[in-house]
Amino acid sequence: MKLTEMRAELDAKNISAAELAQEYIKKIHDTDGKVNSYITVCADEAAAAAEHAQSLIDSGNSKPMTGIPVSIKDNICTKGIKTTCASHMLDDFVPVYNATVIEKLNSEGAVILGKTNMDEFAMGGSSQTSYFGGVKNPYDTSRVSGGSSGGAAASVSAGLCAAALGSDTGGSVRQPSAFCGVTGLKPTYGAVSRWGLIAFASSLDQIGVIANSAADTGYVLNCIYGQDKNDATSSARAQGNYTAKVGSDIKGLRIGLPKEFFGEGISDEVKTAVMNAAEYYKKLGCELVECSLPSLEYAVSAYYLISSAEAASNLSRFDGIKYGFRSGLGEDYNSLISSSRREGFGDEVKRRIMLGNYALCSGYYDAYYKNATMIRTQLRSEYAGIFEKCDVILTPTAPTAAYKIGEQENDPVKMYLADICTVTVNIAGLPGISTTCGYDKNNMPIGMSLVGRAFDEQTIIAVCDRFEQDFERKEARIR
Amino acid sequence: MFDAEMTRHLAELSKIEFTADELEKMTADMTGIIALMDKVCGFDTSVKPYALDAVDYKELRSDSHEDSYDTEDIIRNADNVKNNSFVVPKVV
Repeated sequence: MKLTEMRAELDAKNISAAELAQEYIKKIHDTDGKVNSYITVCADEAAAAAEHAQSLIDSGNSKPMTGIPVSIKDNICTKGIKTTCASHMLDDFVPVYNATVIEKLNSEGAVILGKTNMDEFAMGGSSQTSYFGGVKNPYDTSRVSGGSSGGAAASVSAGLCAAALGSDTGGSVRQPSAFCGVTGLKPTYGAVSRWGLIAFASSLDQIGVIANSAADTGYVLNCIYGQDKNDATSSARAQGNYTAKVGSDIKGLRIGLPKEFFGEGISDEVKTAVMNAAEYYKKLGCELVECSLPSLEYAVSAYYLISSAEAASNLSRFDGIKYGFRSGLGEDYNSLISSSRREGFGDEVKRRIMLGNYALCSGYYDAYYKNATMIRTQLRSEYAGIFEKCDVILTPTAPTAAYKIGEQENDPVKMYLADICTVTVNIAGLPGISTTCGYDKNNMPIGMSLVGRAFDEQTIIAVCDRFEQDFERKEARIR
Repeated sequence: MFDAEMTRHLAELSKIEFTADELEKMTADMTGIIALMDKVCGFDTSVKPYALDAVDYKELRSDSHEDSYDTEDIIRNADNVKNNSFVVPKVV
C-alpha cells in the first residue's frame, strides 16, 4: 500500500492507528526471527504513539506522517529507547535526547515500531558485522541484506514497516535497498539534519529514507528535511515538496551514462538490467548521453581514507568512561580505555580506526589523506561537468546482486571494492536514489541508481517513479 | 611497508589493545587494505586546487547559554559514577 493510500485509509477511519500499529508489531513478532531486521521492537511506545496519532486524526488535525508505522536505524538517537549502533560498545546506551529527524516524525504523529539492525557503527556493506547477529535477505535468507542499513531495507522488504529511516555514508541506504528489492533515497548532503545521528564520517554521513517506492521516499523526506540550528552543515537550500514532479512528463530529459560504471568488475547481469532501464527511458523520449567520470578509479581508496580518518576522530569518544561498555580489565587510566575499546568494538570498526589513524599519521598524511581530499575536489568537478550536459545520471547501485552469507564479507578489501558504484555520490554530496530494475538468475533483485544535482531530489524521485510505474516487482519470499 | 611495528604504533594511537594473535591478524588485514589505499598516491595532484575542509558550514549557532540536560540523565549511561562524577583508575 502506498503511503498516500495509508494516509487516506487512516483519515477515512477504515483502520485506526492502533490497529495498524498492532498489525505491524504482530507481524514483526511472527516474522522477524527469519530476517533479524530489528534490534529493538517498541511495542509499548508504538501503542502510545498510535493513541496520540488517533487523537490527531479524530480532531481533524492529521499530518502526512500521522499514524504511519516506521522503523528507525539503530544509529539514530531516540530518547528513552536503546540506540546501540549494533555494537557491544553501546548495547545498553539509552539517549537522553531525540535526533532532529525523530522530533520531526514525532511532531507529525508518526509511529516508531522499533530500531533496526545494521553493520556495527554503519561500517560495512553486508549487515553481518552487527553485535546482534547478521540481517538476512527477505528474498533468500541464505543471502546478505546488504548494508549498512540492512535492517532498515529488510524491514521494508519483508513488510515489517511502511517506511524506514537509514543512514548513508558511502551507499548504506542505496545498496541494501538494491539487495532487498526496495527503493532507497540518499538526500543531498545538508538536506536533512544529522543532529542525533551517531557520527561515523561527518562530511559524508546523511540520513535517508527506504520505502516501497520512490514516491514514498519523497513523502517521508517531506517530513524530515530542513535546516537545523543543531547541525551547522544543514542547508536552507533544501526546498521540500519532494513529490511535486511525480507524474510529470520526462520527455527530453538527458540521462548521463558514465562509461566507467559499466566496465570491469560489474556483473553482466547488472549491466544488462541497468542498460535495459536506460532503453526504457529512451523509449519515453529521454536522451541517453554517454559521459565519463575519469577519477572513479581513485574513488574507493579516497572514500575509505577520508571516512576512516573522520571515524578515527569521531569514535575516540568511546572510552568506556562517560557512557558505553567498560572493561573490567583496565588497571590504569589508559588500559581502562584500550581494553574497553578492544572488547567493545568489533574487527571492522577496529580496522577503520587503525586505517584512519594511519592516514593522519605524520609522514603519511600528505600521501594519503591530502591526496584523498584532492580526489574529492576532482570528483566534484567531474560531476559538475557531467551535469552541464545531463539532468540525471544512471548507474548500477552495486556490482552484483546479494551474495551468500559468508561468501565475501570476511575479506575487507573485496568488501571495500564493492562500494565502487555508490561512494562518489557521498564524496560529491549529491542526492541518489536506488530502485529495482531487474532480477538475476537466482531471482535476486538488481538495483539501479539515479543521481541528481545537489538539492534536486524532486527530479530523481520523479524519474525513478516513472520507471517504477511500468516495472513489475517481485515480492520477497518473506513478506 | 606495513608491518607489526606499525600495527603496534597505530594501536597505541587508536587506544585499542590487541593480543599477539590479534596483532598478527590485524597486520595481515591492514597490509591488504593499505595496498588498496596506495592507489591515491598515483593521483596527479598538479591538476586542481583543492579544499581540505570540504564541509560547507551554513550557519553557526550563536555562542549563548542554553538549558542543557539533567546531570542525572547524562550520567545514567556511565558504568561507574560517584557523587555525579565518572570514576576512573587513579592517574597520579
